[in-house]
Amino acid sequence: MLDLFRAIGEIFTAESTYINGALFAGLLIFAATGEWVAERAGTLNISVEGMLLAGAFTSAVAYDQTSSVALGLLAGVVGGMIVAGVQAEMSHRLAADQFVVGLTLNILVFGLTGFLDREIAPATKIASTFDVPLLSDLPLIGQALFGQPWPFYLLYPLLPFSWWLMYRTRWGLEVRAVGEDPQPADVSGIKVNLRRRQSIYYAGMTSGLGGAFLIFVQVGRFEDSIVGGRGFIAIAAVIFGGWTLWGTVGGCVVFAGALSFRLSVQGLGYQLNSEMLQSLPFVVTLVGMAIFAHRVRPPGALARPFVRGLT
Amino acid sequence: MNTPVDSSTGVGATAPTPAVELTGITKRYGAVVACDDVGLTLHRGRIHGILGENGAGKSTLMKILIGLVLPDAGSIEVDGARCTIHDPIEAARLGIGMVHQHFSLINALTVWENVALGDAGRLDPQAVRQRIGEISDQYGLVIEPDARVGDLTAGLRQRVEIIKCLRRDPSIVVFDEPTSVLTPDESAQLFESLRHVVTAENRAVVLVSHKLDEVLNSTDEVTIMRQGRVVDRRPTAGTDARTLATAMVGRQVSLRTERAALGVIAVDDLTEIGDSGVAEVDASVEPALSIRGATVIGAGGVRLLDDLTLDVRPGEIVGVAGVEGNGQRALGDLLSSLVSLDTGTVTAGGRQVAAGRPGAMSRAGIAVIPEDRHDSGVVLDMSVAENLVLVNQRRVSRHGVIDQAALRDFALRMIADFDIQCAGPDAPMWSLSGGNQQRVVLARELADDPAVLVAAQPTRGLDVGAIEYMTERLRLAAASGVGVLLISSELEEILDVATRVVVLHQGRVVGEMAHHELDLERLGLLMGGAAA
Repeated sequence: MLDLFRAIGEIFTAESTYINGALFAGLLIFAATGEWVAERAGTLNISVEGMLLAGAFTSAVAYDQTSSVALGLLAGVVGGMIVAGVQAEMSHRLAADQFVVGLTLNILVFGLTGFLDREIAPATKIASTFDVPLLSDLPLIGQALFGQPWPFYLLYPLLPFSWWLMYRTRWGLEVRAVGEDPQPADVSGIKVNLRRRQSIYYAGMTSGLGGAFLIFVQVGRFEDSIVGGRGFIAIAAVIFGGWTLWGTVGGCVVFAGALSFRLSVQGLGYQLNSEMLQSLPFVVTLVGMAIFAHRVRPPGALARPFVRGLT
Repeated sequence: MNTPVDSSTGVGATAPTPAVELTGITKRYGAVVACDDVGLTLHRGRIHGILGENGAGKSTLMKILIGLVLPDAGSIEVDGARCTIHDPIEAARLGIGMVHQHFSLINALTVWENVALGDAGRLDPQAVRQRIGEISDQYGLVIEPDARVGDLTAGLRQRVEIIKCLRRDPSIVVFDEPTSVLTPDESAQLFESLRHVVTAENRAVVLVSHKLDEVLNSTDEVTIMRQGRVVDRRPTAGTDARTLATAMVGRQVSLRTERAALGVIAVDDLTEIGDSGVAEVDASVEPALSIRGATVIGAGGVRLLDDLTLDVRPGEIVGVAGVEGNGQRALGDLLSSLVSLDTGTVTAGGRQVAAGRPGAMSRAGIAVIPEDRHDSGVVLDMSVAENLVLVNQRRVSRHGVIDQAALRDFALRMIADFDIQCAGPDAPMWSLSGGNQQRVVLARELADDPAVLVAAQPTRGLDVGAIEYMTERLRLAAASGVGVLLISSELEEILDVATRVVVLHQGRVVGEMAHHELDLERLGLLMGGAAA
């Protein structure tokens, strides 16, 4: 028993736990921020998994061709937005079922990137590290938050920007309106399905960045299992956070903590059943959902398609 | 373009260019003609009433004017200039605004956010709040800009709706059934500000309504629509309720129920209260249904029902009056086993019923005609016969297998008994008219000889004939010893058949009157939440 406490203590005082945690959280936050915007507009966008994977692949290929991380990030955005385009046009122009579209997209992107990876085999590496002066010297969290490869720092402007976009601009007001109740929004003269498509493109953009983050910050090379279901954890984080941005970020941190804990246990040489450890983050996600899912109110029109004129 | 038009156009001979002139407007939905060659002329400084039953084409016509629907044929002229209106933003640019019956406010947003919806340009919360303040002062429509719309009463929500419309300073304002969710007091207030908007500021106002007294009391001229056509137009002065009602329905209106349905309980009709056609039941009779201290707490801690206590005795019709949104839906849901109680009990036939357990109420002999026919009353894509046995398949099945012949026999008998107009037992439910769909629900619910019949808004959206039939059936049910609970937002309907009236306000029973002690003024006060 004492050993267990000592082990947990060791895990929580190890800098690597926080560094890994920040990396996991970074990926989840990129994906979940866009997912949050899409869900506030009324789409339960399950193709976020595919957006991450597509973004990772296109950024890897772009880096392979140009050796530029910046262009790689840009290509990641494009990759995520291509998936977003299919999801958006299919579900909010052609009124196809958003889950069927999302599910199909996830499978399609998985197969396609796996195949192309074998054909192209893009060579990539982690981007150069940038230590923020002073802040990176903070104990425990300094390296985790301020001593990362430079694309990590895109997170810091992304969050306040997304908040400002949703709560301080007309676009954000209209996005929230169409997600709550599209009928009155339409009557007020808002183009409901246009706003919904745009919000999915925003999710594609942030998830594409998330995919590039995997390549340039966390993993260093593309493989088809690189995302491994974490897009779905991002969806859970939005629900866990009660469809608020800061709650969503909190959800990402909690789930990332579980992912990182798993890694630290192994890294510090403790013997625990590895299958059980693998499942830990998902168990935490499930427990989190069980506790929080019924306490929060989702956007009123979440996952409900809107067709004009049906009243 | 701005030269005065001579008297050959327009209603008033001395009128200048009309604010709006609609000519030959036609709109078809498949085989249904919603508007058929409709013309309408609106002038500044006047209130124009558009009167018609549900489905007469009033709403479609207004949706065309506001840009929500494009007409198949016809022309629209605003201030003498011909135009096509593609969406509400374009209508707003032309100076046309609409105060919607519902569907225009988003409950999760605040007042100012709702008011700002549909504008263009940078979002400036401070400017919007200030404009709301200005309009509040100008029209006496006081409102808190940072309140969440979902927390407001129906009257206040309508206020927001009006502010949202007036903030763009429209020269033409459409009010669509503005009083359907208001108490009599709130309605009076509304018409006061409406008159001000017209006379002091020289706007053209359209009042869409199916209530005769409203149109008679507040409009200058009236257009009457029936089945998509304009059947009559005339100055309001010099006409009376009977003439308007006859034009609206297309035949002589004589039955009391019909007048009730049309909202013609004018002051001179008040003396007629006193005969509901059903005898009052003595309070000592053992209740068939007894609700004690029922409390239902909804999302966000709102008390949907708050310590509600109510009895229904065999043979009486208890009318539940109240402004919509004061717990009627929760009460209906409770008796349909859809919600469970946080505290309190429901007792039927002397035994307590487990609230919220699926089917428990129905097994206890409580039959329900649900509020929303399409949502929870019938399955549109299933046949008439299947819909007739949705609640109870025992009589047509054996060991869980449905006996097709027995099902057919049962359906044919019900179709005959309740005079359901349909192609046969196999006809899909969607092929029936609203009135006949409601008969299917009624037949199904009465088939099991229930002890209690709950009718939630049973005549909503039905035409006059169907309303008459439904009311008669409720009376018959009561006469045969069923305890009837009629939940309705149409006060006239309740006054017409109820032997006892209870008033619901914020989930509580705030007052109760036997039929012989009915007092409209007190009813109105109770409905508005005033202690009386």
